[in-house]
Amino acid sequence: MADPNLKDKIEELIRDNQILLFMKGTPDSPGCGNSMRAVNVLESYGVEYAALDVLPALQPLREVTGEIADWTTFPQLYVNGQLVGGADIVEELDESGELAGVLGTDRAESAPQSAKQEFKAENPQQSPPMQIENS
Amino acid sequence: MALTDDVKTLIESALPGATVEVIDEGGGDHLRVEVSASQFEGLSLIDQHRLVKDAVRERSDTGELHSLTIKTSGPG
Repeated sequence: MADPNLKDKIEELIRDNQILLFMKGTPDSPGCGNSMRAVNVLESYGVEYAALDVLPALQPLREVTGEIADWTTFPQLYVNGQLVGGADIVEELDESGELAGVLGTDRAESAPQSAKQEFKAENPQQSPPMQIENS
Repeated sequence: MALTDDVKTLIESALPGATVEVIDEGGGDHLRVEVSASQFEGLSLIDQHRLVKDAVRERSDTGELHSLTIKTSGPG
């Protein structure tokens, strides 16, 4: 069973960030090819999104997202509190033109650069499970 | 049994009647699957992918299957 404190924290993050990407590594330095694919698609829309590096707490976060969304692999893109999918689905929705609607990118043209927030997940056994830092 | 055959069998058992193609994208543990199944009708992409991921979960959990790229479509 997932750590309830970590689960609460993750549910809060999903609720508070309109576009949230769980990924391995950071947008500037993705730690896996699939996370890079998701970042590349998101960046191409120029939308503001938050990114959470799952690597520091990979297994606990697998358990949490398994309970929240029945999805245990990363990356995971959440929009308006709902899991959109992993890299394959994000790319497929991009190619079909549906992702713009999902992301609500009517704001994209006026947003020249994506503003990224990065969070650091720390071992949930230690002090606060997640720390939020603005990059 | 090669993992590619194993994954194909697992998906076909979970989704009877499905057409499943498994491609080894490298090292035998990075696979791409293309699945066409009547069970996908009416489902969102994410639920279609959930069905495929659930079918191979035992191989993912053990780490035998490291990465799975999924492409789903309805029958026909």
